Amino acid sequence: MFWENFKLALDAMRTSKLRTALSLLGIVIGVGAVVAILNLGSSVTENITGSLAQGGSDIISVYPTPNERTKGVFDIQFSDTLMNSTDGIQTISPVMSSRATLRTKENTATSSMLGCESTYFDTQNITFDTGRGFTAQQNIDSNQVVVLGSDIAKTLFPESSAVGKNVTFIMGDDGIMHTFEVIGVLDEKEQSYTMSYNNSVYIPLNTYSRRLINNKVVSTYIIKLKSGYDTEVVSDQINKFMDSIVGSDGYETFSPAMIAKMASQVTASLSIFLAAIAGISLLVGGIGIMNIMLVSVAERTKEIGIRKALGASPSVIRGQFIVEALTLTLVGGILGIIFGCILSYAVVNIAGWTLKLSYNSFIIAVGFSMIVGIFFGWYPAMMASRLDPIEALNYE
Amino acid sequence: MSKSVIYLENVKRYYVVGDFCVKALDGVSLNINRGEFTSIMGPSGSGKSTMMNLIGCLDTATSGLIKIDGESTKGMNETELAYIRNKKVGFVFQQFNLLGRKTALSNVETPLLYAGISPKRRKEMAMDALEIVGLKDRMKHKPTELSGGQKQRVAIARAIVTDPSIILADEPTGALDTKTGGQIMELFESLNLQGRTVVFVTHDVKLGNMCNRQIHLRDGKIVEEY
Repeated sequence: MFWENFKLALDAMRTSKLRTALSLLGIVIGVGAVVAILNLGSSVTENITGSLAQGGSDIISVYPTPNERTKGVFDIQFSDTLMNSTDGIQTISPVMSSRATLRTKENTATSSMLGCESTYFDTQNITFDTGRGFTAQQNIDSNQVVVLGSDIAKTLFPESSAVGKNVTFIMGDDGIMHTFEVIGVLDEKEQSYTMSYNNSVYIPLNTYSRRLINNKVVSTYIIKLKSGYDTEVVSDQINKFMDSIVGSDGYETFSPAMIAKMASQVTASLSIFLAAIAGISLLVGGIGIMNIMLVSVAERTKEIGIRKALGASPSVIRGQFIVEALTLTLVGGILGIIFGCILSYAVVNIAGWTLKLSYNSFIIAVGFSMIVGIFFGWYPAMMASRLDPIEALNYE
Repeated sequence: MSKSVIYLENVKRYYVVGDFCVKALDGVSLNINRGEFTSIMGPSGSGKSTMMNLIGCLDTATSGLIKIDGESTKGMNETELAYIRNKKVGFVFQQFNLLGRKTALSNVETPLLYAGISPKRRKEMAMDALEIVGLKDRMKHKPTELSGGQKQRVAIARAIVTDPSIILADEPTGALDTKTGGQIMELFESLNLQGRTVVFVTHDVKLGNMCNRQIHLRDGKIVEEY
């Protein structure tokens, strides 16, 4: 019976193509808008998460805030203390940083200078364009070697390879000079939330603290988690421990994973909100469906009369028209999904993101449009089923 | 097989129109047995259409008893009436009343659809019915591609396809020329000879004379019967 009604509905749509197309437009636009917004939402979330994950999704960074209480606490040895504060930490690499001016015979560049351990490059997923990073031994020996970010390398050595050349670091107000050998240049790497990799230079931590700056304060502890541990849980434990030592205003923690989570929560609720607004247009589309169904019932009064004379019960007639409304909204829903996908594909392309299709949005949109179909198809179908068979038969 | 197929006992059908009460049928009693070929005759306004609607279960009586195939229709709801129409009554109308978008075959299949018969069996039964009326070769045609006589044959096939207790025809030749009308009448006669109960509603005396039995109505009452 459903199948018969479905075929009848397609017949009815075929006989009044223009009218059907116009009343479908409302549903197509409504479903299209919902699908497009949900797809854009999921694409934005994906892109934010992706760029945050550049910094490593299993990394928590702790930034000491210099104040009275933190004075003398955050040195290199504090790594070991922190290490024992919680399970789940695989390594902690302390990083010191400051500004530095670098000079070659021809060029000068100002950059942020990081003193870090040899493991830093691995934990940050850094790759090398030429040369390599420094070794653990070079760190222990406080060798004067440097790895350049790609932009700095281009500024200082615009025409030739930097590796093997010397650069001069000019430190502090009195301009003390140190000569370093370039041993590696990084590939270009997209900027993370807290790091501009291309505009930094990297030297061994010991070299930094013993030879360049007579200051033992660590600017960042980069904590890499053991696999299988949840960033949020470990982060909570670290925060609790830090609170007990320096108080909550003595440090800040940052983890790409948590920021990504927050960001995706925000975009998710925002896109649900926008989709709900788009849903209103679906409702308007539903009124269009009701309109075409009322017209359809009116102009098929005779047909309804004939069907009743042949033995169609009121519920059968009602079923026929509800299935017709459902078919209309289903077709509208499918066209709307195609429309919504094209729309979100276009927007994503213009914005330069990658498209992440949200399959839930298809189910939501089609489900909602079918509910609209049943809701707005019900009244016309009831009218049809209640027609008096004699009057309907004599209708011209 | 002299079983009663249509039984009316003091049937009244009144309509209230504004302040007036129109007595369309005013106490009619009647019995029609299986296999009879009856015509219900009378001028327009005599109540014959009302009678047809009541016998065809498109309408219910204001008072009195109607039994179709031994079953009283008193107090039946719309769904139950639809069931009786589907199983017991085959309508043939003056204006054919075919579904315009459907082929002859699916027109004939329609009552079987409402009887809940499987698609395969529906097709077989509809083709058999079209064969009886001599239109099997036209089953893929739509009503617009058929002549008046052919349309009425399709309508007759549709009326007999469920093997109903009554074939109820309302001026079945009214929209046809004399020659075609005569052929349709012959078809009804042959259906009657095969044992089917046929009831005509008509004002055409010539048509009435072809039937075994005539019932004349005037002002909602039976005035003559033979």
